[in-house]
Amino acid sequence: MQAALQPFREAHALENAWAVAQILSPVAPIDDPGRLYDFYRASNEHMVENDVRSVLKYSKQNRHLKNESDAWTDIFVSYWRAIGEILRAEEASNQGRLRDRQAVEVYEAWKAVATNIQKFVSNGMLPSWAVVCMYSAANHLRVLAIKADEQLAQTRNGATFNAGFQDDVVSTTPKSEKLEDAARVFNRMFALCLGDRNPDMNESRKWGVYYMANLQFKTYFKLKAITLSKNVVKAIEAQSDLPLFELYPKAHQVTYKYYVGILAFLQEDYARAETCLQEAFDACFMQAIKNQELILTYLIPCRLITKHAIPSADLLSSFPRLQRIFGPLVACIKRGDLPGFDEALVAGEEEFVKRRIYLTLERGRDIAQRNLLRKVFLAGGYEDLKEGQTEADRIRKSRIPLANFAAALRMGTAGEGSGQILEDDEVECMIANMIYKGLMKGYISREHAMVVVNKKGAFPGTGV
Amino acid sequence: MSASASSSAPTSTKDPKAEPAKDEKKPAQPLEEDDEFEDFPVEDWTEEDTQLPSGNTHLWEESWDDDDTSEDFAVQLREELKKLGK
Repeated sequence: MQAALQPFREAHALENAWAVAQILSPVAPIDDPGRLYDFYRASNEHMVENDVRSVLKYSKQNRHLKNESDAWTDIFVSYWRAIGEILRAEEASNQGRLRDRQAVEVYEAWKAVATNIQKFVSNGMLPSWAVVCMYSAANHLRVLAIKADEQLAQTRNGATFNAGFQDDVVSTTPKSEKLEDAARVFNRMFALCLGDRNPDMNESRKWGVYYMANLQFKTYFKLKAITLSKNVVKAIEAQSDLPLFELYPKAHQVTYKYYVGILAFLQEDYARAETCLQEAFDACFMQAIKNQELILTYLIPCRLITKHAIPSADLLSSFPRLQRIFGPLVACIKRGDLPGFDEALVAGEEEFVKRRIYLTLERGRDIAQRNLLRKVFLAGGYEDLKEGQTEADRIRKSRIPLANFAAALRMGTAGEGSGQILEDDEVECMIANMIYKGLMKGYISREHAMVVVNKKGAFPGTGV
Repeated sequence: MSASASSSAPTSTKDPKAEPAKDEKKPAQPLEEDDEFEDFPVEDWTEEDTQLPSGNTHLWEESWDDDDTSEDFAVQLREELKKLGK
């Protein structure tokens, strides 16, 4: 045990919070795959408490560690037991003999580690930097809770004879029992960080606020409990004495902005969503490709609504997955290709709905429509020059027959038997809507079956 | 966390999901993954490690087509009007 705890003693002496957090990890480091096993083998159930205590208590060189030895002993004993569960589950899984609820046992054992750390952080028996160990343990707890729930779900499904009807089976136990349980642990840790009254900011647990908030977001999104996420944001915004947001580690900032951005997005507050997501994207770690993709998945629909802007070919080409999801849709918007737009929307429907961006993207149809009408306007050409006028005075024809718009709208559908033939009234209605939405300026003269557009800016913001 | 820890050099969190992002370029099944933000491989970084240095302007463009393609469209539209006229 002396040797097994040596790395901890060294990291503790340096107050290296992340190193300690890594030592207290349920996953062996890549460069030392046998570490968990070695640690577990260093003791046994009867001896472990005494073993750990004697090593930590008699730390001559490290006075702090001596004072904290009771706390660390409890933590390492619970850690040793959790590692035992993990190794047994791993072995059983490798042999294909994983018992029912074995993943749950792992979860419960790890929960003891996490709540132990929380307890000692809370009662001041551990130094302030141990908050890092707390939230690192919490992060692992979330992963183990998800695994436990997966196993529970499998067991349940195995018990129902007709798997095809599993959705109809009324179950009294929640589907995410353990993750919900973990969420309660996170909530307490979050409150512990948020409400720290230590006036010395260097020693404050408040530095853990955004990490714990992010962990809660991830958990609540998985549990589909979006409202609870909003409560986290409210609690943070109501806390006036937090350190400046910019002083937190970038990982905390970017993740927080991402989730706050999505929450705003889901509430259709696209302006706020755009600000948050853009900030998250700008500050995102460049090598974290998946995270950048996730941010853009929401930022792209956002900007379509707020700025009528689409991602450039450059941007899409650096993210092949986004190119596949958004490429066809964006190309159709740009071309003003309505049938193509509808097709692309149907083709991507499953993915769009899953990502909760379908309804927002659907609103992009207006932009495609605007672009088509704009092309009709441009195709109309220019008024003839009057006497004394020069090329510079040329103006585009501002009176366009309704029939031109109708023809353009029918062009894509004609001959394909799509049955989407628009009545003249519908065309008029559509143009009236465009004018109402401010995407087009002018009026319809029914008498002459003409659309008369504004000579200065028929399609605001598009240069004509 | 002490100020020194938060500003220290990037430290790997060694979470199983925090593998270096390079490995994650491979296209995964789109419907299997969810929109859960991944743990970053490091805690903190500088502006040098973000998209910002390369500039943001080329990322977005206007949603309408360039005007030089309107010639084709005008021809097509005239054809269509002719057809309808018959």
